[in-house]
Amino acid sequence: MTKTIVTLAASAVILAVGAGVAGAYDGTKCKAAGVCWEPKPGYPEKVAGSKYDPKHNPAELAKQQKSLDDQAARNAKRSAHFQKTGKWVYDVSKIQ
Amino acid sequence: MMKHLGKGLLAGASCAALMVAMGSASSSFANDKLNELSKSNENWVMPGKNYSSQNYSPNTQINTENVKQLRAAWSFSTGLLHGHEGTPLVVNGVMYVHTSFPNNTFALDLNDPGHILWQHKPKQDPAARSVACCDLVNRGLAYWPGDGKVPALIIKTQLDGHLVALNAETGEEYWKVENGDIKVGQTLTQAPYVIKDLALVGSSGAELGVRGHTTAYNVKTGEQVWRVYATGPDNEVGLADDFNSANPHYGQKGLGTGTWEGDAWKIGGGTNWGWYAYDPETNLFHYGSGNPAPWNETMRPGDNKWTMTIWGRDADTGKAKFGYQKTPHDEWDYAGVNVMILSEQTDKAGKKRKLLTHPDRNGIVYTLDRENGDLVSANKLDDTVNWVKQVDLKTGLPVRDPEFGTRMDHKGKEICPSAMGYHNQGHDSYDPTKELFFMGINHICMDWEPFMLPYRAGQFFVGATLWMYPGPKGDRQNYLGLGQIKAYNAISGDYKWEKMERFSVWGGTLATAGNLVFYGTLDGFIKARNSDTGELLWKYKLPSGVIGHPMTYEHKGTQYVAIMYGVGGWPGVGLVFDLQDPTAGLGAVGAFKNLQNYTQMGGGLQVFSLDGKNPYNDLSVGEFDTKG
Repeated sequence: MTKTIVTLAASAVILAVGAGVAGAYDGTKCKAAGVCWEPKPGYPEKVAGSKYDPKHNPAELAKQQKSLDDQAARNAKRSAHFQKTGKWVYDVSKIQ
Repeated sequence: MMKHLGKGLLAGASCAALMVAMGSASSSFANDKLNELSKSNENWVMPGKNYSSQNYSPNTQINTENVKQLRAAWSFSTGLLHGHEGTPLVVNGVMYVHTSFPNNTFALDLNDPGHILWQHKPKQDPAARSVACCDLVNRGLAYWPGDGKVPALIIKTQLDGHLVALNAETGEEYWKVENGDIKVGQTLTQAPYVIKDLALVGSSGAELGVRGHTTAYNVKTGEQVWRVYATGPDNEVGLADDFNSANPHYGQKGLGTGTWEGDAWKIGGGTNWGWYAYDPETNLFHYGSGNPAPWNETMRPGDNKWTMTIWGRDADTGKAKFGYQKTPHDEWDYAGVNVMILSEQTDKAGKKRKLLTHPDRNGIVYTLDRENGDLVSANKLDDTVNWVKQVDLKTGLPVRDPEFGTRMDHKGKEICPSAMGYHNQGHDSYDPTKELFFMGINHICMDWEPFMLPYRAGQFFVGATLWMYPGPKGDRQNYLGLGQIKAYNAISGDYKWEKMERFSVWGGTLATAGNLVFYGTLDGFIKARNSDTGELLWKYKLPSGVIGHPMTYEHKGTQYVAIMYGVGGWPGVGLVFDLQDPTAGLGAVGAFKNLQNYTQMGGGLQVFSLDGKNPYNDLSVGEFDTKG
């Protein structure tokens, strides 16, 4: 494999580097501060619609946050009850 | 009296003290008290001994002159077979011991350690085992000192995602909150962390696509105070208005979503299950967020911020003052959660600075100015690191070698380090008198081949097959020479000494003013070396391999060294689950196929002292006494 070595100029401002440097992804060619990823040669900029499309299901992607929100709601009930009564009751169905 | 707890989910709590004073007036008091306790040679109040996480003891009783006289003093079996990471706590004459799943906790009286003061044995959904990434480990406990109204507490995590506070005196459950849901892959293995009146805890499960978060709970009430995420909108990531103002080239706003395609950040990983450190003067705490999900990089274009990031966050609000992403768009599972060790040193320009040093999975040991995130040094943990040529200190960017990148339809070969990193979860140490960091190292490389897979909540979401083997300095024919131990100066970048080990030095190190560094090995030794020279001075064969770090404490005038044993964790996953396929265990099985010839399972604690002096030298201690 061809190795492309890019020596980054010693400048804190890296944003302007980039556009015209050909070669494989070495992480130094930035479009903006902190935005330095680029597709590898032959691979897409966006995977949606490509052969590498993970085809994420929005319903699956929403499950984690739904669970965290539900956990937080139950915890809030437990803590409120605790502060009110001095008893920690884990089973929220037993909290009036 | 021994108490068996954890029988149900309804946790009784002593009432009177709880109903009052839930405010935060005493928050600095808790800090002061923990700080005071941590200064004593008799205590080890958090996994790294103190807020600087230096794992350093000024005790000199055991030293280079007499360490050969170290003998077994007493031991304790945890009754569990799986891997035991972390180290116990000692506070005011009581040792608190944690275990692997089901995450039992024991309190031992150091005057008579054969007597279990209390034990907490939670009943967990056994399904938690099936979503654990890498064996059934847990990394330890946190201690909150009490305030006169609320009792001192032991804070613990459970694999099933619960964070639990126990009365440190009785072991009774004080509160118990949900911080994760195994049905969507969220687990907990981390040692929680106490700052003021807050219990901080991270998250595990990036191998199941879990979006990482860090949460603070009020220790007195169990109430959530704040939560921040590793990915997503700025307000959810918790970026302060002046985020990265000292280093704008690290990136600032909008990148927690902008560096991901679509909604991939919602399942983008960045969990944090490693170690925290805290500076009471800056009120910033520091930790690293982990790898992006899935491991298959082709499925997630972009820099994937803010995974793989060293954070400096305000303890009261969780807001980030700085974030430095070490491995943008990770391609190798170099999860950035490793230990953060704080020090005050003079840099090359002669300026005294507050520093943070972090040996990363990616094979680079970073030192930052912990007040603003400035990158001070970034050196290879070993000259065989090859995915990166160097880290540009001005830009902070790793200059990658494309030859060792990974991508779909390609099998990457001879990538160093492996996914296990040249350093993993081991809690290392720092000797401030020598200005040396003592680091346990993995010496493992890999081949890597990605594959496509769908995301299903609660299922593994990795997308890569790995083959691991010893690095170039090891014995590849016999799969030995998988580890190293090194002494490192973060200012000069020099290694004062380094030694090869048969297997990874997975658990970390302990440094003492006795001119010693202690550590355990996967094949079951605890070793002591001269911290100036690396000379091996003492070793002892333990019943099982070590994946935790040693600690030391003084009790009634005698210095003890303690270490947990119990092989397992990621390197031991093949041994503990009897796996044969070299790619199983995310590639660890092949690398450690010879481990079974040197050790077997079994968890416990071994304590040492000079000449084995221990409480039972007084033969009356621990004897049955009819007088009660």
